[in-house]
Amino acid sequence: MRARGAGILLSLGVLVAGSSCAMPAAPRDATTTVKVSLEDFRLVVTPARVPAGWVSVSVSNRGPDTHEMIIVRTTAAEGDLALRSDGMTVDEDALASQKVDSADTVLSGTGRTLRMHLAPGRYEVFCNMAGHYRTGMHTFLVVVAP
Amino acid sequence: MTGVPRVLPSAILPGWLRGWLRDHQPFRGQGRRTVAFLLVIFAVTSVASVGLSALATVRAQHRAAVIEVAARQRTLAERYMNDVLLRLGGQQSDPEGTGRLLVLSGKALLDGGTAPAVDGDDDETTVPAAQGATVRRQLERALHLIRDLTATGEALLQHRSVAGLKLTADEHSVPADPEARLRVLGTLTSNVSLNAARTIATDADRQLATLVRLQVLLGAFGLFGSLLLAWLLIAAIRRQTAHFRSLVHASTDLVVILGADGKCRYVSPSVTRMVGPDAGALTGSGFGSQLHPDDRSRLLALTSTGAAEASPLRFRLRAGVDWRELEATVTDLRTDRHVQGIVLNSRDVTERVALEEQLNHLAFHDSLTGLANRALFRDRLDHALARAARGGQTVAVLMTDLDEFKQVNDTLGHNLGDQLLTTIADRLAIITRSGDTVARLGGDEFAIILEDTDEGMARVVAQRIVTETALPVRLANRELVVGASVGVAMANLPGASGEDLIRHADVAMYAAKHSGRNRFEMFHPELARQAGDLLGLQHEIQVGLQRGEFVMYYQPELSLSSGTMLGVEALMRWMSPTRGMVGPMAFIPAAESTAAIVSLGEFALVSACAQTAQWLAQGLLPDTFTTWVNVSAKQLTAGGIRHTVEAALNAAGLPAWRLGVELTETSLVADDADFEHACHELDALHDMGIHIAIDDFGTGFSSLSHLTRFPVDALKIDRSFVAGIEHHGKNAVIAGNIINLAHALGLVAIAEGIETPEQLAELQRLDCDMAQGFLFAHPTPPRDITALLATPSWNPPGFRQGRRRPRLAG
Repeated sequence: MRARGAGILLSLGVLVAGSSCAMPAAPRDATTTVKVSLEDFRLVVTPARVPAGWVSVSVSNRGPDTHEMIIVRTTAAEGDLALRSDGMTVDEDALASQKVDSADTVLSGTGRTLRMHLAPGRYEVFCNMAGHYRTGMHTFLVVVAP
Repeated sequence: MTGVPRVLPSAILPGWLRGWLRDHQPFRGQGRRTVAFLLVIFAVTSVASVGLSALATVRAQHRAAVIEVAARQRTLAERYMNDVLLRLGGQQSDPEGTGRLLVLSGKALLDGGTAPAVDGDDDETTVPAAQGATVRRQLERALHLIRDLTATGEALLQHRSVAGLKLTADEHSVPADPEARLRVLGTLTSNVSLNAARTIATDADRQLATLVRLQVLLGAFGLFGSLLLAWLLIAAIRRQTAHFRSLVHASTDLVVILGADGKCRYVSPSVTRMVGPDAGALTGSGFGSQLHPDDRSRLLALTSTGAAEASPLRFRLRAGVDWRELEATVTDLRTDRHVQGIVLNSRDVTERVALEEQLNHLAFHDSLTGLANRALFRDRLDHALARAARGGQTVAVLMTDLDEFKQVNDTLGHNLGDQLLTTIADRLAIITRSGDTVARLGGDEFAIILEDTDEGMARVVAQRIVTETALPVRLANRELVVGASVGVAMANLPGASGEDLIRHADVAMYAAKHSGRNRFEMFHPELARQAGDLLGLQHEIQVGLQRGEFVMYYQPELSLSSGTMLGVEALMRWMSPTRGMVGPMAFIPAAESTAAIVSLGEFALVSACAQTAQWLAQGLLPDTFTTWVNVSAKQLTAGGIRHTVEAALNAAGLPAWRLGVELTETSLVADDADFEHACHELDALHDMGIHIAIDDFGTGFSSLSHLTRFPVDALKIDRSFVAGIEHHGKNAVIAGNIINLAHALGLVAIAEGIETPEQLAELQRLDCDMAQGFLFAHPTPPRDITALLATPSWNPPGFRQGRRRPRLAG
């Protein structure tokens, strides 16, 4: 375990040295937990404001329908993400560079946890099942500098 | 663990299974139960498997139907949306119909029922009510969305505001624009239907996977269980087979299986212990070659006769140079497909047979001489007679008794006696032919059966026996000579049985003995008659004794000088119901050849003592009165006479000197041993005070020296010398000398049989002391004697005057 952990640290260090976008190492004990509750048809993030850094995003689907969760960093107003031509789903391709992470197909009654490093900024959390975004399954998560 | 075969490593079984197997031992009994158990396991797992398959098939059908209906619902939602927009655009469409179908489809999916056909190429589809809370909530959500969609569509078609419509599916926010709202709701409905279909498919897949896993488990269980049971069964059968094989191998019994071809198919290994060659050498035709030739065909014929042969049967098997005797139980298993042969379960009975033969020999042979014994003799005789009856031949029985053998035994001991018997037995065996039977019937009695013979040959053999037996035998440095009395009986009398023949030979033998011994006598019917009379008489004496047919008579003995009755001689009379009154001469000789003489003698003593005591008590007896009782030689030599006399005297309360015993000379001339014994007995009697007289003096062969050795008080002159005494012939001389001899020895002379006054006068002249005879009185019942004694004036015939006291004194 120790050797493996050292290997990860080394590679992360290389990344940090080589790129400004590189993620810092994940300090396990300094993680903020964000709960994302998916319902028909509402998405609630608690808390809605977290300090920047490693965030543990715990996604749970409380509704009967199947949902998904996508986090993108955005400057747009809430609910104003660009849609595809069908007018029912957000154009994820256009947001590829802004996309932080996603949890696809979270079945009813299930959940999962994502770990991500969030820099300060505004993020939109939404469900991109057809029509779900348009029905109100989106909210902001504001990440502030610690 | 007894329930689990040893070939199975029990460690691989769980503890509870080991325990169960130990307790129930499922493979101990027949394999049938186990096979049934296996079939049940197969049946149960198969039924369960088929049931699960059917269930899975139904589930899969339902899954397909539900997915199809959910897919149609999605299509309907999109079509409805389009129909509304087309209608609004002024084009032909049927949004109402599509909306109805959409609602019907949503309800059918939720609560089960028939979902309508959407296009011409599909059919109405029956689906079951939705299972599972999640799916139901999803479908409920879809139904609410359908209602919201159709309500929005209807409002649009009717150009009503949609703003006031109450949304039922928890839509958080919907576009305010009616068409956009329609599109969003349509898309949502479609999406939720799709998701529901996915959930249903996922659930069904999970259930199917569970069913498949269950099936696999069942199959594995059935397979493993069956294999395990089959393994256990095979192991149990192996163990059982090994068990029986061990039993057969360890058994001392020999198991042989003869095949239908007459060859030996199996011999148990015990044959090696029994006869030597191993089992392999005896299988095939090897077994037949080891069988005794006499048994071979009989035993090998079993393969065709089977159980018809009596079981158990005996046969002999070669064991080196010897033969082992085997006794086999035959089991016909020719129809048993596992055996297909005759099974001989054989036991070695060699020792038993040898013992039986030994016992048989002992039972039928004389242990001393090795000759046949009485039982075998009888058996051989019966067979010989049966053969003779068939073949018209004659059988002779020669009964042989050695003369003087008793003396050899008594004087030289039994050891020499036995050697003598063995020598004689050998001689008899040499004299006879091999087919004849020589038997020792007991003691010194031999018997011979001559088969296929005639009287002439029988006579020759009998004479040879007499001759050969008489030849001296040298034993222990002595030359012994014995003789033989041989009785010959021919089986030429019709209907004569073996027993008759033996009796006839016996009679003839006794006749030979009585005729002087060392000779043979042929049987003839007259001999039988005489012997028959004797036997009958002896029997009647025995019966008469028991019935009290014997009584005592008394004959007075008088003083020749005074005529006084000085005593009586007690004489026995037999009041036979068939013969009348019988005198002693007619029955005493017959009685002397049996034990009856002792009983008769005892009876005489007891009666005479009692009677004398009675007279004494009545005061009838003169001082010197003596009652004389005859004692036979047999009584004297049998021993116990002293005790008998004592008992009789004591019982009667009679003084000993009132009793006298009369002995014949023959009693005193027995052999040395008897003579000594008799001397002791007589001395003892005399010491008690009892008088002793020698009866019939002058007729026997006694040595005069006996008179000095025996304590004698009186001599009784035999009647043969008294008869004619008055003519002064030789009898008178003898009588006179006897009287003188008696007086010289200090004895009393008593004359018997006086019948005439002349005889009386002559005896008086010769100075005889006492006399008895018909002249004075016949032997008479005691009451007559009582009367005479009670008559003091009784004057016996022939007496006139003059009395002289007799010398006889108490």
